[in-house]
Amino acid sequence: MTIGLEHFLVLGALLFGVGLYVALAKRNAIGVLMGVELMLNAVNLTLVAFGRFVESEVALSTSVFVVFIIAVAAAEIAVGLALAMVVYRNRDTINVDRVNLLKW
Amino acid sequence: MDGVGHHLAFWSLAVITVGAALGILVSRNLIHAMVMLILSFIGVAGLYLLLSAEFIAVVQILVYVGAISVLMLFAILLTPRAARDNAETAMRYPGLILMGLVIAATVFVALETDWGAVREEPVAESARIIGQSLINEFVLPFEIAAVLLTAALVGAVALARRDDEDIDAHEQSLTLEGREDSGGSS
Amino acid sequence: MPEIVLSEFAGLSLPDWIDALIRIVFIVALMTVNALALIYLERKILARFQQRVGPTRTGPFGMLQSAADALKLLTKEDVRPTSADRWVFELAPYFAFVPVFLVFIPIPWTETWIVRDLELGFLYVFGVLGLNLVGVVMAGWGSDNKYALLGAVRAAAQAISYELPMLLVSVGVILIVAARLTVDGGSAFGAVNLNVIALEQTTTPFILLQPLGFAIFMIGALAELHRPPFDMPIAESEVVGGYFVEYSGIRWSFFFLAEYTALLLLVVIGSTVFLGGWNFPFGEDVGLGLQVLLTIAKTSAVIFILFWSRAVLPRLRIDQLMAFSWKVLLPFSIVQVLANAIILAYGGGEWIIGITSLALLLLLIGLVYGRARTLSRGAGRSLNKQPARPRLITAHDPAGGD
Repeated sequence: MTIGLEHFLVLGALLFGVGLYVALAKRNAIGVLMGVELMLNAVNLTLVAFGRFVESEVALSTSVFVVFIIAVAAAEIAVGLALAMVVYRNRDTINVDRVNLLKW
Repeated sequence: MDGVGHHLAFWSLAVITVGAALGILVSRNLIHAMVMLILSFIGVAGLYLLLSAEFIAVVQILVYVGAISVLMLFAILLTPRAARDNAETAMRYPGLILMGLVIAATVFVALETDWGAVREEPVAESARIIGQSLINEFVLPFEIAAVLLTAALVGAVALARRDDEDIDAHEQSLTLEGREDSGGSS
Repeated sequence: MPEIVLSEFAGLSLPDWIDALIRIVFIVALMTVNALALIYLERKILARFQQRVGPTRTGPFGMLQSAADALKLLTKEDVRPTSADRWVFELAPYFAFVPVFLVFIPIPWTETWIVRDLELGFLYVFGVLGLNLVGVVMAGWGSDNKYALLGAVRAAAQAISYELPMLLVSVGVILIVAARLTVDGGSAFGAVNLNVIALEQTTTPFILLQPLGFAIFMIGALAELHRPPFDMPIAESEVVGGYFVEYSGIRWSFFFLAEYTALLLLVVIGSTVFLGGWNFPFGEDVGLGLQVLLTIAKTSAVIFILFWSRAVLPRLRIDQLMAFSWKVLLPFSIVQVLANAIILAYGGGEWIIGITSLALLLLLIGLVYGRARTLSRGAGRSLNKQPARPRLITAHDPAGGD
């Protein structure tokens, strides 16, 4: 059996699922960010796999998309970590359950 | 991709990547989770190499492992008391169910869809093609990404920066404490 | 691209994995010998600068001193603090060591002596060297020691800050190479290849075109390697040795090995990119022997300058270090890249780039010198106003609660 597109897609799905769980269920804000990064990685992996295996008009346009996703992920992590730092400084915790001032 | 080397590389990288991701899931210590996340990033970079996307692999190492992970480690080191706790919230079981559903749905779609003709040979010189598309077809998104990065950078600095008054007050309290201490000792 | 197969030397054609094995053994031997030699040379050279003689007892001229030290380290007990985070503590040396080992791959020692000729060699080097930092932070956290943690935070901050200007000035060089490669309608693909960069320097090394680039690259290398005057992460008088305080024996020597190997590698990369590597001034036709000698000579000269700076320069403060990177080096390197791009895009000659870069370098030196002058004057005045001694005498003064 050759290693084909499906292998990478299933792997991406597994990574995405784990990332989703980590982002939803972890208590620590930095842990949540880790989950988000994991999900982005899964999507990137899927996109690169499509670029490798599927014929398209513009070659490797998926890889260009991946470059954009990585740039946006860097921006997201910078802002996210800054937010975590501010929350920690003001409330002395980064437990997302206890940051609930705006909860109804 | 059907050589022994390809099989070996894919399966070992897959085990490393998913295993490390599961490590993040079960780990209760944030630093352990971080090390697992870095392992997972490296595994994904290896998979990119397997997919002949050298440029993406190098960027993955450079940005994810070299910059993002180090930033996160930095944030963990700067939030010492809160950092060791990485337990789950009450969303654990809904999260597990959702994770199962998402994985099942995506795997079903991935296996059942006909993805069309398979390209046998990878595209050569991927870095050149990516670079050219970035400044030809995708120049507008490229510029927008640049603006976004600048905005994010400014935003992050503005968020993380303490006001000058705060710093002054903080330093004043420090010097006052220092004086009291030395006064007591003399 | 030419690519060496070591097994060809013996006139044999060996399978890939034996070839890979030979290369790995070669690299490991080189790493060990290099670290031992550099430690000995550093002690000798520093001793000369401080009017001492350095190690003399072990072997001829004390040359076996570092071998004896290594033997001592290997037989030492491997101590782990009870409160340490076990896995993080024990894995950290490998995380610090393996990336440095991997950086050997795209380094062109001569035209053909390359482990693997990577098309994206330059990016690869910086990406993989960044991994090193993970090991450092793991060591700092895992030791459960305040000094180690402080050292790790300092190392992380320093490495992140100085990687940027280093990469940006290297982009300046890559722009020139790309412009040369595309001059006949060719493709710029390969401008990031370290060997191609060396190949472009047969007549002029890039230090003449990018003096500012070389200066910033070397300052960045000093900071990345935690060498004086940028050794705050491992400063004995401030953080008692930094992130590897708690390590001993073989794990400690892993950190040391990584550090000295990284020193060699960054200097070799610097001399390949800016000093012409194996190429300048004799070109490609001189044969392997002379090319190796050229690489070694350039590397040794730069390493000597690094040791020299250790002997003569005082340590900076960490806030000065960060400010120097973000407020001085980063703007300068961005201006350098922009200037290169504009000049090349409008078809200016390469000598214009050289002059621009030289002017920027002089401006940088002037700024630093002027700032140092004003700072030292200010310090002198405040010392005159408030001498340190009377504070002790006023201890009995009822008004002064000091």
